[in-house]
Amino acid sequence: MTSSNKLTAGDIVKKVLLYAALILMAFIMLVPFAWMISASLKFEKDVFSFPIVWFPENPQWGNYSEIWQKVPLLTGFFNSVKLTICVTLLQLATSSLAAYAFAKLEFKGRDTIFMLYIMTIAIPWQVYMVPQYKMMTIFGLTDSHLGIILMHAFTATGVFLMRQFFMGIPTELLEAARIDGLSEYGIWAKLMLPLSKPVIATLCLTSFTFEWNDFMGPLIYLSTTEKKTLQVMLRMFNTQYSSNYALIMAAATVALIPVLILFVFLQRYFVEGVATSGLKG
Amino acid sequence: MKKKLVAAMMAAVMTIGLLAGCGGGSDASTGNDTGAESDAPAEDAAPAEPQQAEVAEATSEDVTIKVALWDYSNTEYYKTIFDAFQQQYPNISIDVVEFTADEYEDVVTTQLGGKQDFDVVFMKGTPKLAALVNQGHVYAIDDLLANDADFNKDAYAGLVDELSLDGHTYALPFRYDNNLLYYNKDLFDAAGVPYPEDGMSMADYHELAKQLTSGEGNDKVYGAHVHTWPSNVYMYPARTEAFKFDDPTTYENLIPYYNEIVAMQDEGLVQDFGMLQASNIHYSGVFYNQQAAMMQMGTWYINMLFENVGEGKENNFNWGVCSIPNNDGMGLGNCIGGVTPVCIGAYATHPAEAWQFIKYICGEEGAKVLASCGIIPGYSSDAVGAIFDAAPETYPNAPEGLSKYMNCEKNLPEQPMNAKGGEIDTIIKEEHSAIMTKSITAEEGVQNMIDRVNSALGQ
Amino acid sequence: MGKASSTGGQVKASTLRRRKTLVAYSFILPNLIGFFVFTFVPIVFSLFLSFCEWDSGNPLKFVGLKNFITMFTNDKSFWISLKNTIYYTVVTTPLTLGLALFLAVLMNKPLKGRVFFRSVLFFPYVASLVAIAVVWMALFNPEKGPVNGILMALGIANPPRWAASTTWAMPTIIGLTVWKGMGYYMIVYLAALQGISRELYEAASLDGANGWQQFWNVTWPGILPTTFYILMMLLVATFKSYDIMYITTQGGPGEATKVLAYHIYNQAFKNSKFGYASAVAMVLLVIILIVTLIQFRYEKKFTND
Repeated sequence: MTSSNKLTAGDIVKKVLLYAALILMAFIMLVPFAWMISASLKFEKDVFSFPIVWFPENPQWGNYSEIWQKVPLLTGFFNSVKLTICVTLLQLATSSLAAYAFAKLEFKGRDTIFMLYIMTIAIPWQVYMVPQYKMMTIFGLTDSHLGIILMHAFTATGVFLMRQFFMGIPTELLEAARIDGLSEYGIWAKLMLPLSKPVIATLCLTSFTFEWNDFMGPLIYLSTTEKKTLQVMLRMFNTQYSSNYALIMAAATVALIPVLILFVFLQRYFVEGVATSGLKG
Repeated sequence: MKKKLVAAMMAAVMTIGLLAGCGGGSDASTGNDTGAESDAPAEDAAPAEPQQAEVAEATSEDVTIKVALWDYSNTEYYKTIFDAFQQQYPNISIDVVEFTADEYEDVVTTQLGGKQDFDVVFMKGTPKLAALVNQGHVYAIDDLLANDADFNKDAYAGLVDELSLDGHTYALPFRYDNNLLYYNKDLFDAAGVPYPEDGMSMADYHELAKQLTSGEGNDKVYGAHVHTWPSNVYMYPARTEAFKFDDPTTYENLIPYYNEIVAMQDEGLVQDFGMLQASNIHYSGVFYNQQAAMMQMGTWYINMLFENVGEGKENNFNWGVCSIPNNDGMGLGNCIGGVTPVCIGAYATHPAEAWQFIKYICGEEGAKVLASCGIIPGYSSDAVGAIFDAAPETYPNAPEGLSKYMNCEKNLPEQPMNAKGGEIDTIIKEEHSAIMTKSITAEEGVQNMIDRVNSALGQ
Repeated sequence: MGKASSTGGQVKASTLRRRKTLVAYSFILPNLIGFFVFTFVPIVFSLFLSFCEWDSGNPLKFVGLKNFITMFTNDKSFWISLKNTIYYTVVTTPLTLGLALFLAVLMNKPLKGRVFFRSVLFFPYVASLVAIAVVWMALFNPEKGPVNGILMALGIANPPRWAASTTWAMPTIIGLTVWKGMGYYMIVYLAALQGISRELYEAASLDGANGWQQFWNVTWPGILPTTFYILMMLLVATFKSYDIMYITTQGGPGEATKVLAYHIYNQAFKNSKFGYASAVAMVLLVIILIVTLIQFRYEKKFTND
């Protein structure tokens, strides 16, 4: 299926079917977005009209400027950007280090510690939210960005994701590097990281999306208006205009854009094959 | 490996043993521990008597009180009342801490769990207030009430007593909403049917709905609109006290009401519950757009009608109100509805000033501001009533004599002060949705409510 | 002489091992410290809470196994939620996993418009749940929704009432979950597929392997650790999820879509029973631990092959 240049009739049928399936999929995926954007440009009373009107006759761009006026979007935006970047970078750095040890190094207590990590993934946050808040009060880390960064930067999921990817990299490769005299730190920096671009991109995306969309954490921890994040502000806006879906959809659209930009930017790591030249043939 | 796991967990348990004492001796961020809670970890240290807020005279020094609430930034009357308060008490400044409405109770519970030093805490309803009281997060205000000469309890028509638990009072009512039946006069006139009146039975209501239903498809006008909340059913018997929210022995009185409403739904006189729920339809639009002739709703809807219905607005029709129907022959009688209590946080830095603030906003002055915005205050007086009676001068579509639906013989809260209120609420909501989608019969649903609430109360 | 040298060798081996361990710890410590302090400690505290009664205000009261006894003997909602959680997980997990893998394999082929399709498939994952839930509910509206409109046009007289029916509410929510999540797991799979060396495919191709054989002999072993990861994350995510139910059905109609995490949320914040909520979470944890241990055993077995 891969390398033949001559297309048989069967191949053509396959291709047509493939594209038909993909286009159908894409359509199903896009419907809600089309609806979201379309609703964000409607009068409130038209939002739920049946049958669905996809192109409102008289687009209400004013919905967007209304949010702009009601919510200090810029402050929220910068706070969100700050938190998201700090958390993502810290998470990338510490997770990839830890994951390397868990995946490729032998040491005492490895499996036990790893089990502890895994265990914590299973606990819903609501269960330990209050004890955690109490503890953060004692540390004096409530109502501060630092507190949120510290809470979110060291997650088990990041370590787990990186570890699983590292497990797929052949150990022979590392042995060869060790014989060449590379230290473990050298292997991590010069061999593992370059090989892991797709998973780094994935973790970036996961971490960014989580932090960008999280609102319960900042909501509980940040009381000062100037420190609040975009999601908290939009959420506040949403609950205040709980019946106004046109505005809520406009807010959702605004919040979505940065993640989409990041995704498009990270695309190439999923497109380009990873440099496989380092791997032995 | 397992041993190590256990050991590691034990170590962690020890580390946080400090936390487990629950006093958390280090109160760095709260500054002033007023001692509502003992720092001693001993279990029997829980005080039998609640902590009373200090009665000490408020000082004339400059202080700032921290006020927790929701919807501050988009609600004009808060600002008006707070400004008026500061005019009168220039030495007290207000630090507003605003949280989102949907998560408000979760956030406040968490922050008070961390001994956050809120002086004044607005609550969304009685059950959560009762829960906070049980957790020791709220000061009792009995001494304050007893020693304050200019406090008039009678102006709240029994509401202050409804905000008591085990003989102690914890809050004053800021807002209080009665429930009414709203009707569209124009639709009734067009159908040639007389307007609904106080003291209707459910059968009368059903019959009216039948006469007012007309049209097909997108032009269909429903006789009534029943929103998706359980209170849109239980409010009718609750007003006559045939149904009590936290007393399962009264639940079987719900059955005839459920049967009536489900029958109306089957006959197509009201919109289908499952459809409403699934499409997130807000009740306000249904009545504004004249898609329904009658609707049971809280008195906050009066203000919404002022704003959205009238000459030069998108919708223009005359509307009226009457007391909600019931099968016990009650006319004007009792009021029933939601309360917005305001209380003093147990870790307050300035409880005395907090009391001055609460007394002001929940008193005559605050009530006048609320009334002028079309919001019904917990405090009732002739002056407040007069503001509502004058409404048709400003809003010609509104009916005469609104005040009689606000000064009731007895003001009942929709949900009583019961710390299990949240739990009961969840149970009733779940069974309500099962009955209304006809997944089970009214009898089965009510029996489930009885069993489940009994087991919740027994725990 | 021989004796001495052998002890010397042992000493050397053990210092080497100690050195190795030190190096390894230097890798994990930056993460471990933060993780231990900010996540692990509160979690262990909350696990300890499962043996207590605590309302977040009053002092803790140690009650031993009381919470567990109540849960197993006197809490019907617990059993209903457990059953619903298992239903939700057992259907959602394989469905999402299968679709994600299928899509990832497609997206890894030379396709026209690959970037476009990949972006579009990933869209639902980043979109606001509120927005998506509203659309989903509108599409599946029992009376006016286009889905039932189409079904009725196809001659089905009584189409399902979806979220308004106790039978169909869960499938509706499962559909929404799969649809929202599969794009993300597709991306994770793609990362793994990108990590497989091209030379391996070329070698297999030279050996005359067809597409299917290549998948089983080259692709599948290469993405096995990722599959374990996805399986694990999906299981945990579905076990823990409650926000979709919260936004769409509120656990209803009746208790048809009430899951354990929703029960936990209710117990903790609606009912202020933090101890009891922790006890329910403990059950969740034990289930997940068992599943993880089984997975680990298989993972070890496969990766040692």
